[in-house]
Amino acid sequence: MIAKIICYALNGLEGVPVEVETDVNRGIPAYEMVGLPDTAVKESKERVRSALKNSGLLFPMNKITINFAPADLKKEGASFDLAVAVSLLKASEQLVGAVTDGTVFLGELALNGDLRPIAGLLPILISAKGHGFTRFIVPKANAREASYLGGAEIYPAASLGEVVAHLLGSAPIPPLQTQTFVPHAAKRGGGADLKYVKGQPVARRALEIAVAGGHNLLLVGPPGTGKTMLARCLPTVMPDLTFEEALEITKIHSVAGTLGEEGIVTERPFRTPHHTATVVAMCGGGNRIVRPGEISLAHGGVLFLDELPEYQRSALEAMRQPLEDGKITVSRASGTITFPARFMLCASMNPCPCGNYGSADRVCTCTPAEIRRYRRKVSGPLLDRIDLQVEVDSIAYDELSSREKREGSAEVKERVDLARRIQRSRFEGSGVGVNAEMGERELEAFCPLGDESDKILRAAFEKMQLSARARSRIIKVARTIADLAASEEILPAHVFEAVSYRIYDKLG
Amino acid sequence: MAYTRAEKAIIWLCSLPDIDERTRAALLRAAGDPARLIDDFEKISAAVIQGAQKRVYKDDRLSRERAAEEALAALTRAGCFAVTAVSEDYPEALRHVYRPPLVLYGTGDRSLLKTRKFCIVGARALPAWAEKKGKEIAEELTQAFTIVTGFAEGGDRAAALGALPSGKLICVLPNGLDGCYPASHAQLKREVCKKGLLLSEYLLGTGVQKYAFHARNRLLAGLSEGVLVLAAGQKSGTLITADCALEYGREVFAFPHNVGAAQGEGCNELIKKGAFVCTGAEDIFAAFGIEAAKKQKTQLSAGEQSVLAVLRQAGELHAAVVAERAGMPVYEAQAHLSSLELKGLAVKAGGNRYAPL
Repeated sequence: MIAKIICYALNGLEGVPVEVETDVNRGIPAYEMVGLPDTAVKESKERVRSALKNSGLLFPMNKITINFAPADLKKEGASFDLAVAVSLLKASEQLVGAVTDGTVFLGELALNGDLRPIAGLLPILISAKGHGFTRFIVPKANAREASYLGGAEIYPAASLGEVVAHLLGSAPIPPLQTQTFVPHAAKRGGGADLKYVKGQPVARRALEIAVAGGHNLLLVGPPGTGKTMLARCLPTVMPDLTFEEALEITKIHSVAGTLGEEGIVTERPFRTPHHTATVVAMCGGGNRIVRPGEISLAHGGVLFLDELPEYQRSALEAMRQPLEDGKITVSRASGTITFPARFMLCASMNPCPCGNYGSADRVCTCTPAEIRRYRRKVSGPLLDRIDLQVEVDSIAYDELSSREKREGSAEVKERVDLARRIQRSRFEGSGVGVNAEMGERELEAFCPLGDESDKILRAAFEKMQLSARARSRIIKVARTIADLAASEEILPAHVFEAVSYRIYDKLG
Repeated sequence: MAYTRAEKAIIWLCSLPDIDERTRAALLRAAGDPARLIDDFEKISAAVIQGAQKRVYKDDRLSRERAAEEALAALTRAGCFAVTAVSEDYPEALRHVYRPPLVLYGTGDRSLLKTRKFCIVGARALPAWAEKKGKEIAEELTQAFTIVTGFAEGGDRAAALGALPSGKLICVLPNGLDGCYPASHAQLKREVCKKGLLLSEYLLGTGVQKYAFHARNRLLAGLSEGVLVLAAGQKSGTLITADCALEYGREVFAFPHNVGAAQGEGCNELIKKGAFVCTGAEDIFAAFGIEAAKKQKTQLSAGEQSVLAVLRQAGELHAAVVAERAGMPVYEAQAHLSSLELKGLAVKAGGNRYAPL
């Protein structure tokens, strides 16, 4: 008898349906697998054999042929185990009367018959639901992740025995309750908060503008002045995740296998790759399964590069195109995969090799040539893409910090949310989300400059020898500053402030 | 342009690789008329150089003529010209310096040699305000002077950038005209060639030698009627230029610096010794009795005025402190400061601190 069972393979962030066909014939006992299985899939034979035996089921001693269709797609990993076992049971007539049509089986088997969790479950479920499947049997350990998918019957099973009992109707598994999504559910209030940042009025303001308009941010300052601390506050002032965003981010993290206990990403990611990271680590790749890189893992959140000039040049340059497009396409022999990569870049660096350049109380011992060499490690085109470049103060202004009221992240977030609302209503239906994503067309439509503002920009242009790209970046930042002030028009003061955040064009 | 026979003889003499500067001068003195160098080199050299006969000089006038033509052709091919000690536009002021160069190689606008010249120099590392102010003064001085400066980073670069737009700029290099030191000034070099004038006393192809900076500084002082020192440390090479200027009887000006600031100790020392204190181009114009065009007043908003007043009172301040004293939020002060910066009334000193100009 031939049995057909549906399971899913993962291709990037997309699930691809795979049919497991099993034929049990009389003949000399043999076990043959066809349809491009890789080693892990072939080894499932031993896992399935032990799991069946230890669940009190029979491993048929016949000539067994298992085919994975479509036959031209490479099958990788252990997530087919459950489907292989169930199809084997069905083909050897141990599941008489069970309905398996239209059910997707997912899970890895342990030798004792337990079901182990698999990576990338959520993207598979979302794809499968799109393909019209609504019944799923998944490992219990993946239940939390799966429970966010509404409109489907999902049965979490702890072992192969439970699956068989469920299918035969002797002990049905209750379907999962769909969970509603609560952003920041767990960690609200913990960790970083702007109220712990002392002083730094200028950098704080830049941070607020950066988040409000989705701009990239560069923090320049001597070592030990709190650049990392400031950067860690970025996710705390960013708008809450919507469910759609959370699902998309969770998909990526699920594929990478970095999903935590919670089963869904509720906070905006904050990724801090070490400066030894390679191009593949940054952008994604791998020789068998193509995995998302740091820029995709930071999707919807912040990618923080501490000590920017120390990063490999190639790794930084590879980020330029994703910074513009919001996605990265990785091509490998096994196929071409596109991962989303819409992240906010926050980088930090010292002003010079010794770190004291521009400091009020310490002397910089670097020569101009050394400083230039250090800065040249970060290419102009990359700097051009960083809208806000701001210096972090090296000294604590005691007399100031004692009197000044220190705002917490929550207050800043309120203003950011307001500015984002203004942007949303402005860009409605144009595919643009925030000011930083504006193209030339939007710039013309939404950022008309008054005569005076135009004159200022022209003067700044001449004095600072700005590139054309830098000019539109300044206008975008000015637009965000105007939004924060709830001003319809871009006023000269907004342009001046925007110009003051481009220190690197001046330092040349 | 055509060179006379005497000029050609000097250019040829200076293209000989194995004769040092002192011997060249002695040869020229012995020859009287430079053209005789080509005609009777054997006789003259025998009188001047010990053991000259033992050296192999081609004792043939025609080959010397040819060599002179070749040396000239090489210069012209490189887009350069030569000003010799007998040329009519050789700067008179230069004749009084120590070992006046027999030949100055140049590329760019030759007519600048005949203008009035003023030298601005500064150390490579200098405070932001000195750099910005130096650039501004260079720009204003071009009303009456051609600015002479070196080609280093920092002060020299500031002076060059200030004078470049008007084209009244002479840069003196410590190496052959085909080289560029520092390499990062390649773009600046191209622009100076196009608008101003590059000078060097070294033959094409000569690399940078340590002593050449010292020698170059004597030319900076020698060419100019006065020298302004933007910033100089205790042992800065810039002070060599100032010393040369004093020796040659030129006026020396210096920016006053904060007491204790290492980057300005040399300047303060110069002032103690009697150099003019300079805080603006008008000081220099006054010293030379020149009537300068009045600067037009820039229009300032009320906010900018209050911010500028706070800055003027305190010297250098952090943006946040400016904001507090002027009684406005930081981001507003930031906008005013950056506007003042564009108008040339303030400068960013690093670390979010600003200084008035």
